[in-house]
Amino acid sequence: MAVPTQLVLPGDDVDPTELLPPHPAAGTDKKAKSPPPLRLGPGLRLLLPSGQVVPTVSGELVADRRKNLLWVESDGGRYSPTTGDLVIGQVLHTTADNAIVALAPHDAPPLRAVLPVLSFAGATRKNRPDLHAGTLVYARVSLAAKHLDTELECVDPTTGKSEGLGPLVGGMVFPVSLLMARRLLMASAEKAGVAVLAALGEEGLSFETAVGRNGRLWVNSDSTRTVVLVGRAITATDAQNLDVQQQRALVKKLVRSSG
Amino acid sequence: MPHDLEPSLNEKAFVGQALQEGLRLDGRGFEDYRPISLSLGEEYGVADVRLGNTRIFAKATAEVTVPYSDRPFDGIFNIVTELSPMASPAFEAGRPSETEVLLSRVLEKTLRRSGALDTESLCLSAGQKCWSVRVDVHVLSHDGNLVDASCLAVVAALRHFRKPETSIESGVLTVYTPAEREPVPLSWLHSPFCVTFSYFGEEAEMALLDGTLLEEQTRVGSCTISLNRHGEICQIAKLGGTPVEAVSLLKSTQVALQKAREFSTIVDKALAGDAKRRDKGGLIAELSAENER
Repeated sequence: MAVPTQLVLPGDDVDPTELLPPHPAAGTDKKAKSPPPLRLGPGLRLLLPSGQVVPTVSGELVADRRKNLLWVESDGGRYSPTTGDLVIGQVLHTTADNAIVALAPHDAPPLRAVLPVLSFAGATRKNRPDLHAGTLVYARVSLAAKHLDTELECVDPTTGKSEGLGPLVGGMVFPVSLLMARRLLMASAEKAGVAVLAALGEEGLSFETAVGRNGRLWVNSDSTRTVVLVGRAITATDAQNLDVQQQRALVKKLVRSSG
Repeated sequence: MPHDLEPSLNEKAFVGQALQEGLRLDGRGFEDYRPISLSLGEEYGVADVRLGNTRIFAKATAEVTVPYSDRPFDGIFNIVTELSPMASPAFEAGRPSETEVLLSRVLEKTLRRSGALDTESLCLSAGQKCWSVRVDVHVLSHDGNLVDASCLAVVAALRHFRKPETSIESGVLTVYTPAEREPVPLSWLHSPFCVTFSYFGEEAEMALLDGTLLEEQTRVGSCTISLNRHGEICQIAKLGGTPVEAVSLLKSTQVALQKAREFSTIVDKALAGDAKRRDKGGLIAELSAENER
């Protein structure tokens, strides 16, 4: 269970043993399962050779005792790729083997990634996916390193199926903040405090969405009005930082004004 | 050379489809502006305009200089616009892009060539001394429609500006500080405002006001009409793009006149509010030298 502990600023001293104490008398009982080693998540850095742990961003320090994990919850403004992220990218151009995809178009220069043409479900040398400049793709980050090009894939490497990844046809992309994207991607909508999509569903609207960790939200529906309404609702929730009650009220107001 | 990435095919198709159905992404009508807020600064000649997410900061300054030899009776009036990476990563400091050149040219034609500021009143001594008025336009945030917001900011800054009081005696020019004598406003003749239309559709049959950045990137043409509150057109700039029917252009001028009047009201209200704010305790009425008998 993740527990927020305190607000930290860059350069503060963080004592991991104080927040996540090691199990007492772990050595005396051989049957007891040893806890996993301490892991540092985003926003923390281990300084060598002193072994001191310091935050690199400002935000809330979160400790997960079961996973023995520490990280800083921050609503930073720019996306940095991490392996396993689901992202929505725009194809800039294609070469023989790769498609160059922009993950953050408004950065300078744009944050780019490499999407091999063969990393689609059912793609072979003779059967290539139809990609061209301007296509939107929903992909997973398969390789993210500081000094290498980020690599994407649209296929599950173990099963060979697409699992919902691939080119996005139709619809509209709306920019959202990285924090909003993380909340939309959380498994529990109640825990994330996001009730917009459920409220829109209760109002009888039918639509499909894809959320990218890079701050992009794709919405599609048979009705153009529905897409505009969903986009406005989520964008307003993000910009005004609404809570659950305010979100429901906003959805009711939008549906009434557009109906 | 940095430039904005084009929107994706999905975004282009969706914007076109939504406009065909009479919808805009932010829920506005085709002839609506985003919320406009104009705030004037503590010192004279400062104007801050917010048009939705677009933000423009304009500052007017003046200094005594020598007039041009071909126009000894006129002062000097310049509008300087510089787009920095703060507004958008598409802009690069110091290197003018197409957007910057177009913005400068439209402001120049709208304000300087239309004679909004009486440059003859800036002359202090013919051929020897004159005021040089300069307005710096800073784009702080770029979400489309820079032209309309910049023109509104420049007009507000110039109408808010006060230049120092001067006197000339035996060829000696004396410039008084604001503590010695009250500074005087500029000689302002009329207030032109820019109204920009964005055209969409195969034959440019849909005209939108106040396009956002995404709408500007997907439009097929644009037209900027500059006119004042009295209906006098100062300039029309339609630089390329899809051809537009002449009749619809005439209709656009009627819509632009209504919007120019709204802009004029916004500036008048802001200036009145600023004058009231500077009138601390209502003492200006007590200090009045022109009183009824």
